[in-house]
Amino acid sequence: MNSLLALLIVPITGSAVAAILHRYRFVERLITFLTFCGTFLFLFGIKVGDIFTWHLDFLGKNVEMGLQITPLSIFMLYMTIAFGIVLTFYNLSERSKMKGFLLLLTLTASNWIFMSTDLISFFFAWELMGWSSILMIFGGKHEEKSRHGALYYAMMSIGGSYSMLIGIFLLSNLTGTFSIQSNVSYLMSIMSVHPWWVLGMVSLFFVAFMVKSGIFPFHTWVPYTYGEAPDGFVPYLSSVMSKYGVYGFLIFLPLTLNEHVPSVFGLAWPNYVLLWFGSVTAVVGSVLAFMQDDVKKLFAYSSFSNLGFILAAISLFTPIGLTAGLFHAFNHLLFNGAIFITVIAVISKVGTTRMSEMGGIWQKMPLTFLTFFIGIAAAAGIPPFAGFGSKWMIFQAMISHGLIFATVLLFFASIASFLYLMRAFHAIFLGQLSHKYDNLKEVSMIGKITEVFLLGALIFFGILPGFILDPIDSIVSAFGLKPLPTSGYEYINGFFSSINMVSIFIVVIIAFIFGFALFAVVAKHKKVPQEDNYTAGQIPQDWNLTPEMYQFGYDFYEPMDKELAPFLKVKIDGFFKGFGESVKYIGGAVKEIFTGNVQIYTYLAVGGLVIFVIAGWVVW
Amino acid sequence: MVIVEFLIKLAQGFGIGALALATGLLFGGIGRKIMARIQRRYGPPFTQNFIDLFKLFSKGSVSHGWAFDLGLVAGFAPMLAAIMFLPIGPFTLLPSDSSLIMIVYLMMMAYLGMAMGVLASGNPNSAIGMSRALMLMAGYEVPFAAVIFSVYLFSKTGYLTQIVAQQSGGFMNWNIVKMPLGFLAVEIALQGMLGEKPFDQAIAPAEIASGPMVELGGKYLGFGMIQHSVGLFLETGIVVDLFLGGAPNFWIFIAKQFVLYFVVILVDAILPRLRIHEATSFFWKLPLFLGILQAVIVIIQGGVLNV
Amino acid sequence: MSEWTEIVDYFRGRSMWMLHYCTGCGAIELPPTMTSRWDMERFGITPMATPRQADILLITGYLAIKTLKRVVYTYEQMQAPKWVLGFGSCTINGGIYWDSYNVIESLDKYIPVDIYIAGCMPRPEAILDAFVKLKEMVQKGEAKGYEKYVKNYDWYKANQDRVLKRTSPVLKEIEKVTKIG
Repeated sequence: MNSLLALLIVPITGSAVAAILHRYRFVERLITFLTFCGTFLFLFGIKVGDIFTWHLDFLGKNVEMGLQITPLSIFMLYMTIAFGIVLTFYNLSERSKMKGFLLLLTLTASNWIFMSTDLISFFFAWELMGWSSILMIFGGKHEEKSRHGALYYAMMSIGGSYSMLIGIFLLSNLTGTFSIQSNVSYLMSIMSVHPWWVLGMVSLFFVAFMVKSGIFPFHTWVPYTYGEAPDGFVPYLSSVMSKYGVYGFLIFLPLTLNEHVPSVFGLAWPNYVLLWFGSVTAVVGSVLAFMQDDVKKLFAYSSFSNLGFILAAISLFTPIGLTAGLFHAFNHLLFNGAIFITVIAVISKVGTTRMSEMGGIWQKMPLTFLTFFIGIAAAAGIPPFAGFGSKWMIFQAMISHGLIFATVLLFFASIASFLYLMRAFHAIFLGQLSHKYDNLKEVSMIGKITEVFLLGALIFFGILPGFILDPIDSIVSAFGLKPLPTSGYEYINGFFSSINMVSIFIVVIIAFIFGFALFAVVAKHKKVPQEDNYTAGQIPQDWNLTPEMYQFGYDFYEPMDKELAPFLKVKIDGFFKGFGESVKYIGGAVKEIFTGNVQIYTYLAVGGLVIFVIAGWVVW
Repeated sequence: MVIVEFLIKLAQGFGIGALALATGLLFGGIGRKIMARIQRRYGPPFTQNFIDLFKLFSKGSVSHGWAFDLGLVAGFAPMLAAIMFLPIGPFTLLPSDSSLIMIVYLMMMAYLGMAMGVLASGNPNSAIGMSRALMLMAGYEVPFAAVIFSVYLFSKTGYLTQIVAQQSGGFMNWNIVKMPLGFLAVEIALQGMLGEKPFDQAIAPAEIASGPMVELGGKYLGFGMIQHSVGLFLETGIVVDLFLGGAPNFWIFIAKQFVLYFVVILVDAILPRLRIHEATSFFWKLPLFLGILQAVIVIIQGGVLNV
Repeated sequence: MSEWTEIVDYFRGRSMWMLHYCTGCGAIELPPTMTSRWDMERFGITPMATPRQADILLITGYLAIKTLKRVVYTYEQMQAPKWVLGFGSCTINGGIYWDSYNVIESLDKYIPVDIYIAGCMPRPEAILDAFVKLKEMVQKGEAKGYEKYVKNYDWYKANQDRVLKRTSPVLKEIEKVTKIG
């Protein structure tokens, strides 16, 4: 069987089987995991340039549909399916509410999105992915709230899809074909003549992609939905599904390579607008994140803030910008996945998502703590872990183009990310351990294997980033740009300088060895329990001081709230709520017509007939 | 042969680490003396910080678990690692990796490790101290980013060694003459980075019982002192390399670092401590404005490097 | 080995940190000693915020029984080597509060004292004199009060308990008073 078709058929059959065996939870999860593994095996059989086409007779037109493998699609496929394997493996251990058959439907749709060459199948796959994920969000912990989250996501996702549908049909009406390639080249050719029209057309598509990636101002669904979705699904939602938007952006960004597009500050001005969207998203996400108390919402804000970084980088559409953005997409998948998996492990043991009720978990779950620590070190962009290279390249890209405001905003977003990561780190894992968690146990063996694997991956791809930079170079060449030079696997070559990650790693290890040697040689220490703490001389028992009282987990950055209050007056969420209210009002007014009173209907019918006769639309 | 080269580099690395630590401690001692003289008293001897460090390593201490230990070792080890990439006078241990942004992010690893260690002690004073330290960092890193931008674009390179090399040939070639506003911005940011008044909210001995250091005693406090001293050397060293033209030998380099530190101490002696939100928002006003103005000037003068 | 101990003691004597804990009325003499007029920092002595960081505990003046409870807790939080300075006549024999029901008479019964400073209250010159004497004792290896405490812990604990019996917790119904929310 053709390998490209196999990538679609295998998940669909797996989904059908899983749906039939839905009653037996563990079997369903096992089938999900095995299907992901099987799909991954089929990935080895495909290579760049494979094509598979078929014809469809549609409304008298002969539509050619097809699947094709480009360097970008193979990169995305490997990334998403590999992460899916890790996630479904982790879910084998949990009593998770994730419906495996829906996840497999999403996988089918995801593979189709990355491979399709025509807009009809792209849209079909996009809708399939949207609907299966909406259905999956319904299964959250609190029935009412997860329904609200799912509907919020559904409305925005469907809104985006409909705008894309309008764009598809308008475009194909002009060009006469549904093929993505020819549509994009058509837009490129008329860009110099009708720039506004082309931009309007592309914006229709971009709304869908912005919704999916959570770019400002369509980011409001992300915290609601991540907070209420079933825990087993949230890592997939945040790591993998946000990348569909990135793929979509990359389909249309080649338009701006045209020299006739007017430029602003050295960039084509559509790119400049996208750059601002990306930077503002990064800042908004980071700033709102460090004010959260709910841990899933905090990392939801973190997730789309990183998507803002990715969009800002790829919007430059230069070799370094593209490489930085795609590299950050991969790193985001990795560290976000590690963070979310450890967080849901803790939530499942602790039973609450509010960080102010946790604390000191490091003593009970040491491996989870270590994985989370490396995860946030990678998310903060600390060498030699995975996230450093991409952040470094993004800054180099911004500086080389002379984009001062974007650099300052993105740097601020990066520092603010440090803030919210430390908040989560302290409130969950560090500090005083409450006595109600005395019986907390570490995750099961399956969870441990997942965490060790993620830990290793974060370190491995930090030290040897060449494994990822090589495929990205072929993607950049496929777009017609000259790729950045690559040296060995351990080098990251930026614009202004290049660094050897292995030597940094070795230097850090030697410094640590020296530190531990110093630690062992000097005067010995005494281990004391957490109750033996500096309490300004007061005896804790006299004041009934419990660990919960002594843990500073609530309102961690309260002084910043005062400083940032003026900026938070504008509420995008309020805008959408207001929009929804007006639609409800108009709908209510229209509903008034249907009073159910037969007399009113008769008056309306007669009046309408008279008007139509007068206007000449009906010949009497 | 590779083994011998590696051992030579290792020995040189230890030498540089020892130099950085000794210089940092010496600067600390001289700083205390200067502060005392400003306050019209005698002050401790110059070598007081060395004596303090020795005493701390001989004193007993308490530990709150392996996260505490690991965190505090991780508090100073990355600082020592970062110096290996810094051009010190004519000598750089690993010149091919002396990227400025990389050194800044490696400093953050020290920060993260120290944060983990002190927060694992379970004392809310340390948590308040760390939250303030992080909020302050969100303040001073922003003008510093604008300055990094200006220097990168002006020098058209990211290697500190090459930035230093471009400033050779006399006083008029130094970046402080070519980018004075940037120097002003980074001087103010340096005050925040070193945690000296008016930006020492993180330590604040009288308010939050010395903040992160509340449960540190003995060798852990010694590690904190090492982190502070080596950080002092590193941060003043970065500013010397960026704006004061590096140096042809070690003594002149240390002398230039001391000039910077002298200005920091003078400001520290006079000013009181700001409130934390005032401190953060101060950095977003004047220093950031200076940094952005400098960046715009650099862009207008030199153009950008579209690739 | 003894040379190493000598070197260590030499350094310890020149860098003693005192806990900034003002237990009684004698503490009024500490700010002048710390500041420009009688600068104690030139001996390497600076005030530190928490017992984990400090070497010297200064009991400045009379010690009420409630304060004794906190002082013992603080003393036990300090780490070896540590020294106690009894400051003023009240620590020696009760001073002017010798007949009070609430004040202890001889500090040495409850925590080991290395040096007493006579006076009511001692002037900063006397305090500096005591610090210099303490430094010489430390550098000769004579100030071993902390080892005395560990060796005779039962005796000290019996004395403490006998007196601290009179300080039952001030708060009745602790849970109700300290409940949050």
